Amino acid sequence: MQQADVVVVGAGPGGYVCAIRAAQLGLRTIVVESDKLGGECVNYGCIPSKSLITVSRLYDKVKEGEKFGLVAPRLTVDFAQMQKWKSEVIEKLVGGVEFLLKGNNVTIIMGEAELVTRGKVKVTVGEEVEEIETRYVVIATGTRSVQLPGLEFDGKIVIGSREALELTDAPARLLVVGGGAIGLEFASMYQKLGSDVTIVEIMDQLMPGSDPEVVRVVQRKLESRGVKVHLQSKVLSVSKTDHGATVAVETPTGGFLLEVDKVLVSVGRRPRTEKMNLGPLGVLTSKEGYIQTNNRMQTNVEGIYAIGDVRGPPLLAHKASKEGVVAAECIAGKPSAADWKVIPDAVFCDPEVASVGLTESRALQVGYNIKKSRFQFAALGRAQSTGEPEGFVKVVSKAEDGLVLGVQIVGPDASNLISEVALAIEMGATVEDIALTIHPHPTLPEAIMEASETASGRPIHQLKT
Amino acid sequence: MVYEFKLPDLGEGVAEGEVLKWMVNEGDMVKEDQPLVEVMTDKVNVQIPAPRTGTVSKILVKVGDMAKVGQTIVIIDDGSGAPSVPSAALPSPPQQPIPLPVQVPPGQLGQDILATPSTRKLARELGVDMASVKGSGPQGRITDEDVRKAAAPPTQAAVQVPAAPVQQPMAAPKDSREEMVPLRGMRRTIAEHMAKSNETVAQVTHVDEADLSDLVLLREAFKGSAAKRGVKLTFLPFVIKALVPALKEFPYVNSSLDEASGNIVLKKYYNIGVATDTAQGLVVPVIKDADTKDIFDLAGEIEKAAAKAREGQLTLDEVKGSTFTITNVGAIGGLFATPIVNYPEVAILGLHKIAKRPVFRGGRVEVRDMTYLSLSFDHRVFDGAYAARFTSRVVDMLQDTKKLLAEVV
Repeated sequence: MQQADVVVVGAGPGGYVCAIRAAQLGLRTIVVESDKLGGECVNYGCIPSKSLITVSRLYDKVKEGEKFGLVAPRLTVDFAQMQKWKSEVIEKLVGGVEFLLKGNNVTIIMGEAELVTRGKVKVTVGEEVEEIETRYVVIATGTRSVQLPGLEFDGKIVIGSREALELTDAPARLLVVGGGAIGLEFASMYQKLGSDVTIVEIMDQLMPGSDPEVVRVVQRKLESRGVKVHLQSKVLSVSKTDHGATVAVETPTGGFLLEVDKVLVSVGRRPRTEKMNLGPLGVLTSKEGYIQTNNRMQTNVEGIYAIGDVRGPPLLAHKASKEGVVAAECIAGKPSAADWKVIPDAVFCDPEVASVGLTESRALQVGYNIKKSRFQFAALGRAQSTGEPEGFVKVVSKAEDGLVLGVQIVGPDASNLISEVALAIEMGATVEDIALTIHPHPTLPEAIMEASETASGRPIHQLKT
Repeated sequence: MVYEFKLPDLGEGVAEGEVLKWMVNEGDMVKEDQPLVEVMTDKVNVQIPAPRTGTVSKILVKVGDMAKVGQTIVIIDDGSGAPSVPSAALPSPPQQPIPLPVQVPPGQLGQDILATPSTRKLARELGVDMASVKGSGPQGRITDEDVRKAAAPPTQAAVQVPAAPVQQPMAAPKDSREEMVPLRGMRRTIAEHMAKSNETVAQVTHVDEADLSDLVLLREAFKGSAAKRGVKLTFLPFVIKALVPALKEFPYVNSSLDEASGNIVLKKYYNIGVATDTAQGLVVPVIKDADTKDIFDLAGEIEKAAAKAREGQLTLDEVKGSTFTITNVGAIGGLFATPIVNYPEVAILGLHKIAKRPVFRGGRVEVRDMTYLSLSFDHRVFDGAYAARFTSRVVDMLQDTKKLLAEVV
């Protein structure tokens, strides 16, 4: 029987980071992965989708390049080559994870782990079963896509995000069920690659929970590109045909039938914990099945920790990684804890959306006396010169002292802009602090400085409202 | 439904805690996460929140009493009458789920507490609850200095300790070349313990020397059979074996003074504390009933205890109840030292470096393996002559391997 101090179940962005830190702290660490190192993020999520999105944007830009003086007649998308390049990107990153794990002396076992008791993990590798005795177990098994009744994935017509990243051609007509982050990324991407896209969302806005002003920019752009968006709507039935499906959609103004080639279902995710024996071990879970922990990632059962998506929303790779570090450090006896104030998020739709901290409505709900200020990218030299001047930066700050509470960005490269604000909030900066910090010209982050200047009452590049 | 709230795991290695303060009375309504009780442990002060909403029907541990992890400390009635329903997909857990471990250490921020991530980390490391710190920076921002100040003055825990003789730094240094390291956890425990000993015991140290040349050979001879049993044989087990008959012969050395009742308590059991140097500080694991064990058992136990001490995994039981202590600084070097008695014991034996030195034997100078032994003792309990005779008896046993052989196995 193998002995370990820590067994990490799952080598996604939470698990592999946790294993590395645990090993760095001198713990004998084993990581067990049933599929591929890097997990959902590297293999089926963040990385492959961003690879394909990059290609789709490039294609779109060049196709419309005449206004920039860029003429490329007969530009086509070679799907096979695009997929091959995507796979190479994944391969490189998976190799990197393996290199880091091994370099830190983490033992990697590729197999299916089952938590037998709190100190024992059974791993099935092919035909062989081996048992590991361990002082601590970290559950980092993540989530999987939810399947809707009547909309079960068949891998051909009704598909999930995994299959949507493996297509060999852009479907002529694509229905996206669910207008959350994943649905919108795919809708933007396949529209650019040539699909006729329809989005059906059950709530009254896309990206529920996001700032409505931000969402409006995205929806307007989608609709201007011919994407049809149906809110407060749902799919009633799907009848499959030879090459597609006829979908009955119910909207507030009545129902209609839609002929499509593919139906992409992205309506949420659920924890993947079947093999973790949570019930018999008495591990506390939420009613959705997410594992409950304290801010040191400890569950109510001694020796069992949980990190990442399996603990519940927000389901974000970067959150999982930080939690992995906290768990490893706590196990090693360090006074670590999840005490960050904010977790930024980014959606790679068109234009991109990124957000950190409180939105306007949430801040008001909490009871803050707020000041909000916006700066349109259209007024920014760099945004104009990239050819993507849509969107804005919105800063929500405390009226009394200008403390930054939250920032939402919709516009070019929003995902790369948000980190500055995350740091500002963690450091307890005020809008004045950001406004007084010199931002290089001409760059997109100037928009954050300008929005902060507006909040401090002295805007240069827009008129006071 | 009646819910028995057990003292949760307070952090790695903490087995029990002293109840400092109940924030609720019997009959009070409590809300989930409302502060319930404050508990002091060796390592930290922890505020434990209520595990669920309900009425406090009975408080089972009084203020000032110790509670073990897992012991029921309070009964809460949530008035529901029905057990909590587990998620449908999962089989019922075997028992009531225990609540999540407490969110220790503090350092977590409410939305309005301002401090940088590194300051929050510092607060966690110093065990400072940010909610109780008044920030001195702009907008009430908490600075590193504020956290250090909050860590420095005596906490409620220290108030409970009678006459803490250790000077607490009262303020952060004005001079930037000085660094304030708060006296916490193990360091504080050691400090209090040493000061108590120094203040109570009438300390005297008697030094003798011993010729261990024969013992060096004897140890070599036993090394093989020790290795076969998987243990590393040091000199320490031999010393313990030489010590026990001497302790039996000089019972006042294995005693303690009960000042309250005015009695000297002679102990007819021989639990030997072994002072062990660790990264966190001095720990003294105890080898229980040393007189009943052979050198291999002793060697194995010492090795295990030292390893556990270094990893910080000793249980309270494993560091309690010693009747006499040995401290061995020979490996580090030096000539000899004057150890401090491990109060409430009355004597401690210091072992020192074994070195080849020229000595007179039968009118000739010979090179022998020599060492010094230092016995610090409580002059209240016995006198210098008694200490000298005891030490001489130990030296005699160590030098005469024939006598020692009769004891070792």
